[in-house]
Amino acid sequence: MMDIYLPLKRPSWLVDNKRMRTTSDFQWLLSTFVLLYLMNHVNSQRKETPYDLKCTTNNLQKWDCSWKAPSGASRGTLYEFCIDDRSHSCYHLARTNIEIPALSPGDHEITISLQDAGSSTSKFILNEKNISLIPDTPEILNLSADFSTSTLHVKWNDKGSVFPRHSNVIWEIKILWKKSMELVKLVTHNTTLNGKDTVHHWSWVSDLPLECAIHYVGIRCYVDNLLFSGHKEWSDWSPLKNISWTPDSQPKVFPQDKVILVGSNITFCCVSQEKVLSAQIGSTYCPLIHLDGENVAIKVHNISVSENSGTNVVFMIEDNVCGTVVFAGYPPDTPKKLNCETHDLKEIICSWDPGRSTGLVGPRNTSYKLFEGFSGKYVRFKKVDVSANESYHQLLLQMVPNQEIYNFTLYARNPLGRSESTILVNITEKVYPYTPTSLKVKDINSTAVILSWHLPGSFGKINLLCQIEINKINSVQESRNVTIKGVENSSYRIAVGKLNPYTVYTFRICCSTETFWKWSKWSNKKQHLTTEAIPSNGPDTWREWSSDGKNLIIYWKPLPISEANGKILSYNVSCSSDEETQSLSEILDPQHKAEIQLNKNDYIISVVAKNSVGASPPSKIASMEIPHDDVKTEQAVGMGKGILLTWHHNPNMTCDYVIKWCNSSRSEPCLMDWRKVPSNSTEALIESDQFRPGVRYKFFLYGCRNQGYQLLRSIIGYIKELAPTVAPNFTVEDTSADSILVKWEDIPVEELRGFLRGYLFYFEKGERDTSKMRGLESGRSDIKVKNITDISQKTLRIADLQGKTSYHLVLQAYTDGGLGPEKSMFVVTKENSVGLIIAILIPVAVAVIVGVVTSILCYRKREWIKETFYPDIPNPENCKALQFQKSVCEGSGALKTLEMNPCTPNNVEVLETRSTFPKIEDTEIISPVAECPEDSSDAEPENHVVVSYCPPIIEEEIPNPGGDEAGGTSQVIYIDVQSMYQPQARPEEEQEKDPVGGAGYKPQMHLPINSTVEDIAAEGDLDKTAGYRPQANVNTWHLVSPDSPRSTDSNSEIVSFGSPCSINSRQFLIPPKDEDSPQSSGGGWSFTNFFQNKPND
Amino acid sequence: MNEWAGRVRDLTLFPLPGPLCLLTLLLPLLSPAAPISPAGPISQAYSLALYMQKNTSTLLQTYLQYQGSPFSDPGFSAPELQLSSLPPAAVSFKIWHALDDGERLNRAQGAFLALTQHLQLVGDDQSDLNPGSPILLAQLGAARLRAQGLLGNMAAIMTALGLPIPPEEDTLGLVPFGASAFQRKCRGYVVTREYGHWTDRAVRDLALLKAKYPA
Repeated sequence: MMDIYLPLKRPSWLVDNKRMRTTSDFQWLLSTFVLLYLMNHVNSQRKETPYDLKCTTNNLQKWDCSWKAPSGASRGTLYEFCIDDRSHSCYHLARTNIEIPALSPGDHEITISLQDAGSSTSKFILNEKNISLIPDTPEILNLSADFSTSTLHVKWNDKGSVFPRHSNVIWEIKILWKKSMELVKLVTHNTTLNGKDTVHHWSWVSDLPLECAIHYVGIRCYVDNLLFSGHKEWSDWSPLKNISWTPDSQPKVFPQDKVILVGSNITFCCVSQEKVLSAQIGSTYCPLIHLDGENVAIKVHNISVSENSGTNVVFMIEDNVCGTVVFAGYPPDTPKKLNCETHDLKEIICSWDPGRSTGLVGPRNTSYKLFEGFSGKYVRFKKVDVSANESYHQLLLQMVPNQEIYNFTLYARNPLGRSESTILVNITEKVYPYTPTSLKVKDINSTAVILSWHLPGSFGKINLLCQIEINKINSVQESRNVTIKGVENSSYRIAVGKLNPYTVYTFRICCSTETFWKWSKWSNKKQHLTTEAIPSNGPDTWREWSSDGKNLIIYWKPLPISEANGKILSYNVSCSSDEETQSLSEILDPQHKAEIQLNKNDYIISVVAKNSVGASPPSKIASMEIPHDDVKTEQAVGMGKGILLTWHHNPNMTCDYVIKWCNSSRSEPCLMDWRKVPSNSTEALIESDQFRPGVRYKFFLYGCRNQGYQLLRSIIGYIKELAPTVAPNFTVEDTSADSILVKWEDIPVEELRGFLRGYLFYFEKGERDTSKMRGLESGRSDIKVKNITDISQKTLRIADLQGKTSYHLVLQAYTDGGLGPEKSMFVVTKENSVGLIIAILIPVAVAVIVGVVTSILCYRKREWIKETFYPDIPNPENCKALQFQKSVCEGSGALKTLEMNPCTPNNVEVLETRSTFPKIEDTEIISPVAECPEDSSDAEPENHVVVSYCPPIIEEEIPNPGGDEAGGTSQVIYIDVQSMYQPQARPEEEQEKDPVGGAGYKPQMHLPINSTVEDIAAEGDLDKTAGYRPQANVNTWHLVSPDSPRSTDSNSEIVSFGSPCSINSRQFLIPPKDEDSPQSSGGGWSFTNFFQNKPND
Repeated sequence: MNEWAGRVRDLTLFPLPGPLCLLTLLLPLLSPAAPISPAGPISQAYSLALYMQKNTSTLLQTYLQYQGSPFSDPGFSAPELQLSSLPPAAVSFKIWHALDDGERLNRAQGAFLALTQHLQLVGDDQSDLNPGSPILLAQLGAARLRAQGLLGNMAAIMTALGLPIPPEEDTLGLVPFGASAFQRKCRGYVVTREYGHWTDRAVRDLALLKAKYPA
């Protein structure tokens, strides 16, 4: 049947095939045939038999083998597939694949033969090594998403039941996103097969919120069986499953209200139907990442800590806006300094420092839970409204009865993480008691009180250590530590002794436990006055006999507070002798003195002080004064506030020493105060507030012997010496011509204010009015000073004075405290007549003698004197220089001034001037002598004009001894004022200067000077030309002196102004002695030059 | 600078109780004549409104300052953000002018009633977002109390004018607990802004009434 079937079947397939191909491309068919032909050709030897046996397995239990049919085989060909093993199993089948049970390791011969043609048999060697293990394609059972956490959950079955053995499986999961299926993530996941079907889960957290893009998931596997020696391959990818979110019409931003760790990266996305324009986090704009549709995302890297209300992320849409808030913060820090203590052993307080701020507040703030390990109790701490930066947190926990050891764990948690801190405490060692309250004081007696206070807490099982602070006014603070048994009812009392009677004390208290942890705070202060006690000593007593010696005055001092022990109300005084006793009782307190009339007997006086409790022991003193030797009064000066008295030890003095003192100016009996000193001391520093500087006090030292006092020393002294307040009153007893006798008086003790050390006496010459002005400064030489250190001296004679002279006398007293005021007086000494006469006569005589001698000498030497001091003066009439009359203008013999007579110029030559503006130029004045034209042509090659003319007044020729080659004659020139405004040629350089100087003042006269002079003056000595020039040039003096032979020098063409004898003003009138260089100007005396040169400098 | 165009539609969380509003508007205004002079309460309400007006911009600035950028950026404004549960104060002058006393007072009354409830909501939101900012919370609380005070004053005016007082209603409706932090911030912004606008409008309303009913 098979045989029939297959041939029938094959054509039908062929037909089908042909039918398909008829519609397909002919070329493709052709190439396929060519390929098939080639393949057939290669496998020509197998062509007739089945070939290419390939086996795979997907579960290691069965092998799927397939082979290629021989070329002649039709579709329905029957094959015999035999495995040559022990059983030699054969399978008959009409297809080219077979599923066989897995073969044992090793080679197996496989025979495949076509049953219809016995010859076509193929043999294959089949080994497990040639088998490929290709697992079945896995399938995702379930793909779900948790959008809030952006997590994908994948679930699949490993179909492990088909595998006989344990195998490792590697799963590969791929995640694609967007519609374009971009690969986002490819992860491997390892499991093992355990022979059963197992469902596996795998989760993945997406960076991008899942709402914003579609996500696809696919899976494949690879079975890694170590026992299988064949080839292992990956399975095919499972069909993809996807997750997407159906948006509503509103744009939305994801994730919403997320809490993340500072510094992490986060992606925000916006699901929108409309175009998103921009996105920003806080105020920072971010680039958009475009997703499917109009959805966009932004990536934020390394986010910084948010402010309290979070960081805003805002997406701007066409006509809308949407956003979200992200809270970036830190996980809770480990609680630091966790410490638990109790105030009262009823309640435990644990406090801690939360450490670094998390940056999260409100519902995201850290929550704390305090857990006690032994009892299992816990309390929670959540203070939502506390800002994150509050420094300390604390929690209260009720104590468990009878539990002393506590193991506390503090858990801290916030959305980003958790932390914890642990402490183990023995709570009885961590007691910080409350502040003691209701402190009360009760008297026991005058030196002890009971303190009671309230301290809440059940301290029944422990001892308290309390510190009592005792403060006495004006005294050092005292602290006493006491240990008290703790009680449950919170009331404590304790006795405090060793106090002083009638003293104000301030108490306060603080407590701790014996196992010290912390002192409580101090309680409030409580002030208390202790009760009175009898005075501990009798008052310090002294007695004085009244001045008439009939009454005894008894003095006593008030008791010091430390001895009074209460308020002293009164004193009792009694005087008792062998015969009688007198007493005065109830002398009220402020009075510290009593007077009793006594016979001069030997009495013992006793004084008793009384307070409300009782009387003091009596203090006794004998009335007897032991007679003393003659006691000398000594002097002493104190230092500062007191005075130091010293004495030698006297073994006779058995009881004590008494020093009494009084103001020396007071009358007897004088007593300011006294002081008792023990008998073994030899000095006492007497100090009293009553002491004043500059006041003299008397001190008396008494020694006590056999209940009687003997005066030992008497001292006057000052606490401090001051300068006298008054000057000694002095008078002039006697005055002579050369001496004055001065006498002065003592200064009273009160005004002396110190021990007198001497006087200073000054005297000087001086009238009353002038001397007043000057003081008596030391160092003035005209003041004479006498220092009188002998204070008993009361007079002074001042000798060696001048007669009939006014003297200024000054006297002042001084102590060690300084100089007193001065008293001054003016005294005139008497006249000394003989001396005066001599003083007048001698100078007169000397003057007369000198006069006579001088007269004689002068007379004898009168000729010489006349020659020396009074020579003959020559007559100026004889000076040749002034002989004008002999010159050309003879006609006017005595003429010396300018005369405006007409004169005809003999030669005028005009040159075209290059000057740009009119200038006031000196008129060239030339002598009418015919040399003028000659000279100009000879000596001046330059192009210039010489204006020659005859002066209106004929110049007077001066005889020139030198025979000057240029002119031969010196001339005195008179200037025609009217002809000054004449153009004149000048050398180039002067023309250059002109525009500058031309604007200034133009002198009316210009005296032309030879060019050589110009060289000297203008080139060599420009500075000189610039400054002032004397009218008389020094050079001209000696060069042109008529007598000087040098004037004949060829070089000396310098202007000659005349002789030194000539009158200065005349030099104006005398021209330079050159007639041929009218343009030269530098050396000449010229205002023009003066002004022209100056700006050029 | 951050002019937010558009309207946050997802803020439209609380549907306006439209029928109720209409009902209050259509209430008959034909009540009997006022037994007492309305000048007193009007003057009192006017003073309070003037006082409130001085603080509204401070409240808005303080509020924005605590919300972070871009809210706290200088010049921030998003006029298009609205809340459906809060009637906007903006009204065309013509309509406003045409309103009679009863309508005018009714609208103000309704707005301030809504504002007191919203200010309470914003205060709660901010105690979550800004718990450590007592200044902001105090200002929000003070604004709410003043709005309530103004409501009382307006009721007194309406009584004096013989107008019926609209019943108190729940403008917020279902409690919007699920709002995101961003929505809360926007909501608070709209409320504090509208509080200012409504206060400005109330000052004008009352000034008009004051002129109409002189003492």
